[in-house]
Amino acid sequence: MLRLNRFETILFYALLIIYCLIILVPFGNMLMNSSKSLREIYMTPFGFPESFMTQNYVQAWQRGNIGTGYRNSALVAGVSVVSIVLLSSMFAFSISKLKFGMRRFFFMYSMLGLAFPARLAIIPIFLLMRSVGLTNSLIGLVIIYVAVNIPFSVFILKNFIDGVPNELAEAATIDGATPVQVYWNVVMPLVKPAVSIVAIVSFVNIWNDFFFPLVFINDRSKATITLAISTFFGEYGHQWHLLFAGLVLAIAPTIIMFVIFSRQFIAGMTQGAIK
Amino acid sequence: MTIYSFIVIYPLISSLVLSLYRWPGVGERVFVGLQNFRTIFTGAFRTELFNAFFHNVYFFVLNTSLELGLGFLIAIMLASKIRGAKIFRTLTFIPNMIPIVIVGFMWRLFLNPQVGLVNQFLQTVGLGGLARPWLGDADLALTTIIFVNVWRNLGFYVLVILAAILDIPNELFEAAYIDGANNRKVVWRIIFPLTFSTFRTLAILLFIWSFNIFDMVYALTGVQAGPFRSTDVLGTLFYRTAFGGLGAAAVDMGLGASITVFIFAVVMPASILYVYLAERRQRGA
Repeated sequence: MLRLNRFETILFYALLIIYCLIILVPFGNMLMNSSKSLREIYMTPFGFPESFMTQNYVQAWQRGNIGTGYRNSALVAGVSVVSIVLLSSMFAFSISKLKFGMRRFFFMYSMLGLAFPARLAIIPIFLLMRSVGLTNSLIGLVIIYVAVNIPFSVFILKNFIDGVPNELAEAATIDGATPVQVYWNVVMPLVKPAVSIVAIVSFVNIWNDFFFPLVFINDRSKATITLAISTFFGEYGHQWHLLFAGLVLAIAPTIIMFVIFSRQFIAGMTQGAIK
Repeated sequence: MTIYSFIVIYPLISSLVLSLYRWPGVGERVFVGLQNFRTIFTGAFRTELFNAFFHNVYFFVLNTSLELGLGFLIAIMLASKIRGAKIFRTLTFIPNMIPIVIVGFMWRLFLNPQVGLVNQFLQTVGLGGLARPWLGDADLALTTIIFVNVWRNLGFYVLVILAAILDIPNELFEAAYIDGANNRKVVWRIIFPLTFSTFRTLAILLFIWSFNIFDMVYALTGVQAGPFRSTDVLGTLFYRTAFGGLGAAAVDMGLGASITVFIFAVVMPASILYVYLAERRQRGA
């Protein structure tokens, strides 16, 4: 901890407040403009709205397909995260605690995926998915997200599982536990923090992703939230009151979630990235 | 258990890894050898490719210095004895929770030359002369995109650097103060050297990410990367080439794939370095 003198304290406060204003003012402006009429946005883009136009939200919700976007994003992200946690924890458990040859090879193999952005493989993935008929399908997206997120998840989980003493696993085995029981009843409860990191980071990554839906999904009813907003902007380019309302609807739940769980999110995101 | 992971996970990973390594020139189902590479490195395509490539380089240089420089500054402030640091910490991270592409669309509205927040604000505080068509000026658009990107991502770098600073044992600070060090010395002799490895990791990641930007450019200036391709990056060039788009120099999966191979070649050294450092850190820990 740095100790500050009075001048430094004031200076730091001033800078931090300016920085936070730069972050918050755009959100405030967006919120205010989202309940104005189009004319009012052009006349007074800065001021408070004269009257609160709730129909902006209703229209944006319907025309922007935002409800559908939410449902699809939640579905894809939810299913993917559960699969990622299960599959990568099993994999990490196997290469960390079970004894078989080539463990190191499998570990390095999974690390290769960590090093290369999956976007660069988009064409082979696209061709592969097309050949099995999984383009324009939410299941296709889930499969891609699971594959893309596994290397990182294995890396984090293996790190933590390595920290579980081997004696614990051996003791359980002597008491007659099968490897599956050791995995589920002994190891998993002990690595809960790692599981939450993996779950949070992959959820946020998937929720925020735009590239894969853009390439794979061309049906409106299957659009994720990011794709829905993008389409909405393409179709209503000058209807600013609706665009602002759509943005507010798309962002608000995420921000509310974040403010409630900010501690877990921040811990998960920062630890997840650097490990 | 082992069997299960072999059956389910192994194919998943292998398909991922295979897809990274497979010679991607099969897009048009005609084997053309190195023809695709000759195309992208010659003629009109060469101009487009290098135009986009240098925009990525510019993005990396400016974006990295801003993210790490400002990130370090703000992290130091938040690591000081200051009230409300926790609230500031949460606030800085908010933009990070919003999808990049949505942040991009948000700022497209704010940066509108006539009614956008930014120019209106400048006029209100009497700096109307500074108002610009931010995204419409070919000399300015890419820099504007970088600033929007910094707005969105800075919180992440602040918090990662902050976590590294808070890992430093407090006794080191105490000892330094007892020896009469001032704050500037503490920052440069203690904090900076002890967080250097974090900076190194972040710089490597920023390098890899800089050559993969797409969402932000797509949202702010579209897949045409206007005005006049002044914001074109390898990601948008690739998208136009592989999946079509008006005004693409050529539309072809194979050509698109050779662009990804080019990006791949650029980021590979950084990727290998990253994995090497990560594995070394893991073994050391």
